[in-house]
Amino acid sequence: MVFDRLINFFTSLRLTVVCLALGILLVFLGTLAQVDLGLYKAQNEYFRSFLVFWGPKTASWKIPILPGGYLVGGVLLINLVASHIMRFKLSRSKVGIWLIHSGLILLLLGQLGTDMLSRESSLHLREGEAKNYSEADRQAELAVMDITDPDTDKVVAIPQGLLMRKNEIRQAELPFTVRVKKFFANSIVEDRPAGATDPAPASEGLGPRAVVKELPRVTEMDRRDVPSAVVEIQAPDRSLGTWLVSEYIEKPQQFTYNNRTYKLQMRPRRYYSPFTIKLLEFTHDVYAGTDIPKNFSSRVQLQRPDTSENREVKIYMNNPLRYAGETYYQASFDRDDHGTILQVVHNPSWLTPYFSCIVVGAGLVVQFMTHLLGFSFKRKTA
Amino acid sequence: MPLTVSKVTLGFLAACLAGCGRNDVQVYRVSKDEAKPAVQDQSSGMPAGHPEVGESAPPGLKYTLPANWQEGPPGQMRVASFRVTGKDGKQADVGVVPLPGLMGRDLENVNRWRTSVGLAAVREEELSKLAQPVEVAGQAGQLYEQAGENPGSGEKTRILAAVSRQNNVAWFFKMSGDDELVAQQKPAFVEFLKSVSFSAGGPAAGLPASHPPIGDNTAMPPLMSATADSAAAGSSEGKPDWQVPAGWQEVSAGGFLVAKFMVSGPDNAQAAVNVSMSQGDGGGLAGNVNRWRGQLGLNPLAGGDLTQAISEVDTPAGKASVVDFSGKDARTGQSARLIGAIVPQGNRTWFYKLMGSEQVVESQKSAFTKFVQMAKY
Repeated sequence: MVFDRLINFFTSLRLTVVCLALGILLVFLGTLAQVDLGLYKAQNEYFRSFLVFWGPKTASWKIPILPGGYLVGGVLLINLVASHIMRFKLSRSKVGIWLIHSGLILLLLGQLGTDMLSRESSLHLREGEAKNYSEADRQAELAVMDITDPDTDKVVAIPQGLLMRKNEIRQAELPFTVRVKKFFANSIVEDRPAGATDPAPASEGLGPRAVVKELPRVTEMDRRDVPSAVVEIQAPDRSLGTWLVSEYIEKPQQFTYNNRTYKLQMRPRRYYSPFTIKLLEFTHDVYAGTDIPKNFSSRVQLQRPDTSENREVKIYMNNPLRYAGETYYQASFDRDDHGTILQVVHNPSWLTPYFSCIVVGAGLVVQFMTHLLGFSFKRKTA
Repeated sequence: MPLTVSKVTLGFLAACLAGCGRNDVQVYRVSKDEAKPAVQDQSSGMPAGHPEVGESAPPGLKYTLPANWQEGPPGQMRVASFRVTGKDGKQADVGVVPLPGLMGRDLENVNRWRTSVGLAAVREEELSKLAQPVEVAGQAGQLYEQAGENPGSGEKTRILAAVSRQNNVAWFFKMSGDDELVAQQKPAFVEFLKSVSFSAGGPAAGLPASHPPIGDNTAMPPLMSATADSAAAGSSEGKPDWQVPAGWQEVSAGGFLVAKFMVSGPDNAQAAVNVSMSQGDGGGLAGNVNRWRGQLGLNPLAGGDLTQAISEVDTPAGKASVVDFSGKDARTGQSARLIGAIVPQGNRTWFYKLMGSEQVVESQKSAFTKFVQMAKY
């Protein structure tokens, strides 16, 4: 009985309408919220959540006021799939409906896939510079680098998300535990004033000479948080001390343990690729006699040792480089016109919206034609 | 068909759940070469809106030490530290921090200083009202003064902070401490800022040999530009062979100028002639003309307006571009006139600037033009 009621609930057309209405409301309110929260926070709170919470600015409590994007999308997906299973039988007259619904399901799944599997990062190159990694714009990582070997460094990269959530990070490749004593999502690091009496943030490296202050999270599109953390390196037998790590501190801090040398560095999260991109030339054209930009383009050299690939590519606006599952867009450039910033998008499900639109479009045509032909046939036979 | 849809859905969800592993620890090996950037990033290594903390060698700093200031050891980020002790034992701390690269936005810094003395943050549009013009190493800077109570200790505290952007480096000078003492020390602090000069070897000079010249920062506001005056930091070559006009008194050129002359007129009116040289075009004609206009509080020019403002004179090195503007000195707020000449010479560019009292500049115009035209390189 309960099962039947559940089935009725999830296959209800009323639920579809409610979900669609809530979706519209969510998009509207989420767009307005960007004014105060900025794009990324609004996206997380309204669309990448199950519930949207609200509370007075000065209060510490919050109450759920709306279903979030995951909940609305998830219920809509269940509603569509359940309706299919329970209501629609595959027949010639329903092929169009089937196609439309399949396209919508594909669209929803595709967006979920994009949300879960895609990532964006930036590749900043000066002319003549080559890199085989891009860096996340808004994600940091704590890199623990074993630099003892003469040829290679072994890097254990702990993502910001883990640093925020976990107090203790054990990794088989590390002979010690990294304990996160404090984490600041946005911060500033300054020199510790002479004569300061409050305790230093950390005992080793730059820690005794620095001050770290937590700052409010930034919401502007053109800025980002600068995370910092105080971490303790805990060997099985003793603590090696605490370190202040921050994106403000570019220089890695070094320590030794068991005759191996390690470096600690908080840096933008890196995504390595098996190929190298070298900036040969950046061009910034303006309309003659004005400062109005006409075109930005980056002439790069793509080198891949394992396939011996070595070719030049020109990346410019609306002409990205698509290679090995990554898309490199011309995004920005250095003020002196001698450096480029490419946006690197990795999105395995980037084709799903195109396929869904084709399937939905085909479904609409089939459904319309089925009715038209049926009507026309009836008229002839009448 | 329903079974197929379910299978596809489940498979896809499984793949998505696998994608949730983006917060996993990654372990990989990189070659030593890959671990180092090929060249030093000029701008984008740090997030927008935040100053960089570089590992480049700290720039050199020369200054005249005010009375009662005691030098302290430089810190990891400070190139100079001072301590000032008042009569009643109260203290103030002075620090000088150069931040190469993007330089940050003043708004965040000012609001950070305000927060530390218990003041409310200000908005961008209110910032300009807080900025007091000040001279730092011969260039325009902004002085921000904040007084309030330290939220932690409840003590009355004052912060004087000056920002000057020169040669792609933002210099921060900050005096903080007891409210009364810092207020008393303000004149000494301002004099200290004037006395400062930066020696070569700073972050910009630390760029690799293959690095293109820094200077074409025309997208930046004039006062934030890597100035051609300062871009001459690398100039160790000699002065051109020139005939110094009568009445021009050569003074210490500071770290970034090839030569500097002072010219006096009646009623203590003065004008200064600065000569600097930059490799390449030093930021380009438009960038430098508009930088100069910014020093007079004038709006930038572009297109036909810019072309009209520029006249040409012959020099031994070729055609020189000459501009003549009147406005208000951005540092002092007083009426001023500026005559500037930009002389391209091979792969470098010479910059001559006569700026000061309108009366003195008018009287020296012909001497200045002749000086530029007669200089042999």
